[in-house]
Amino acid sequence: MRRRRRLDGPVTIVSPVSRLAGRTAIVTGAGQGVGEGIARSLAGNGARVVIAARRFETGEPVAQAIRTLGGEAVCIVTDVTDRDSMEHCVVQTVDQFGGLEIMVHNAFRGGRPHRLEDLDDELWSQNSRTAVWGSYYSAVLAFPYLRAASNRGRLIFITSPAGVEGSVNLPAYGPVKAAQRAMAKSLAREWGPTGITVNCVAPVAESPSLVSAFDQNPTLKSRLEERTSLGRIGDPEHDIGAVASFLASDEASYVTGQTVVCDGGSFLGL
Amino acid sequence: MKRAECDTALSDLPVNVLEGKVCAVTGAEYELGAGLAIGLANAGAAVALLGDARGLAKVATDLGANGASAAAVQCDFSTRAAVEEAWAVIPDVLGSPIKGVVHAWMPSVAYEVNELVTVNDEHWAEVWEGALNATRYVLQSAFAHFGDGDSEPAGGRIVVVTPTVSMSGAVGLVPYTTAIEGMRLLAKSAARQWGPDAITVNCLAPAPEQVPIGVLSMAVSLAPPALGGPGDVENDLGPIAAFLLSDAAHGLTGATLCADGGVWMAP
Repeated sequence: MRRRRRLDGPVTIVSPVSRLAGRTAIVTGAGQGVGEGIARSLAGNGARVVIAARRFETGEPVAQAIRTLGGEAVCIVTDVTDRDSMEHCVVQTVDQFGGLEIMVHNAFRGGRPHRLEDLDDELWSQNSRTAVWGSYYSAVLAFPYLRAASNRGRLIFITSPAGVEGSVNLPAYGPVKAAQRAMAKSLAREWGPTGITVNCVAPVAESPSLVSAFDQNPTLKSRLEERTSLGRIGDPEHDIGAVASFLASDEASYVTGQTVVCDGGSFLGL
Repeated sequence: MKRAECDTALSDLPVNVLEGKVCAVTGAEYELGAGLAIGLANAGAAVALLGDARGLAKVATDLGANGASAAAVQCDFSTRAAVEEAWAVIPDVLGSPIKGVVHAWMPSVAYEVNELVTVNDEHWAEVWEGALNATRYVLQSAFAHFGDGDSEPAGGRIVVVTPTVSMSGAVGLVPYTTAIEGMRLLAKSAARQWGPDAITVNCLAPAPEQVPIGVLSMAVSLAPPALGGPGDVENDLGPIAAFLLSDAAHGLTGATLCADGGVWMAP
């Protein structure tokens, strides 16, 4: 930490590695893609990070990579659609690290193209259970510990611009991502008196599912880059993770109920 | 605050924009849905009220007493098959296929005020899954049946009622506001996919005062309604719904019309 003098008085600059020091974060779906990027960024900012992944084989390598870089991280196998599994994750996190200040719900499953008239209960459930029920469980199970953290308590949902403007290929995706935004707004109001902030991040970033989509549609990447103001697809850690780390930090303690669209300036509808 | 007077007398407004059309309305068990049904009937529509037929019988009777063609049709919104079954009855009852739908139904438990941490999984499912499944089944049935028996190309109009409280959030109503936004985006996705089929899908967003959620739970707004109040459902919101279901609205889809007296003005 260093101080420098400005015309209006001394300014204290907090080094990134200590910005989230002493805080514990759970990131669901952190075994790859955006979730991994967020976990790495939070760890790089000093937080202890729990990689809540469906499979140990995908989550543990991320935790190991964070530890190799000098951070603190563990993998806890978690099924976000199952209340008991989520509760186990939260309880084990608190037992191991003494508290929980940051809850990031990112995990999602159900992104195959479909027609609304053919959307059956099974595909709907896949979208609904991971995005909406996972958000609901994240919120209610983390709340006691976020409340104990007072104005350091942070709940972050990873949503999508499709949750604002709908999707022509994934009609079930838009509603469940919109649901997360609405949940964040109402919870921001409900939990405001406790100091907890609740926000969403709507990213577009390189992830295994997006790379797979690029492989299936060779022109998709260039078309996506063309309509993006910054002309590139986001990096999960340095672009998306950085925004999530900001929202988790003290600097964002007056930001709540918001959706930060982090897609390089493609969707500009807010 | 006195409500602003409309410059045009209601009697001078274009009437019968829905003449000859059969429209389905869900949620008429409550005042909002019932008022919208009356508004559609005032515009010339024959109205099928889907839901609890016993609870809807009086609404249908009152519509009939005022010269409208109306019928209460029993509809269970919990399965696609049940919604399809109700849908199939309507042409026989009212003589023509459905051309328009106003979907205002919501599980009654959605209006209960509870802090999220006191909500259990059963309640969450009843509200979130109940509302979204019902909306999905109604949309799917509409898609399957618009234009049944028509010699002209199919097409249709769908309006999903999504009170503005979901855009602002509300204490004690996390399940309800979550469900409304899910419904709103399901409508947008339908609009994107079904546009080539000449089906328009829009949302009508009334003020939270129009639904039974309790004054204390409503989001605090810094802006009073520009028009002086939330409006009368039958005479203020009804014409808007009628327009959205009319031929004139063929170029409008995926939109959310805030009909709350001029409170919510974003973007």
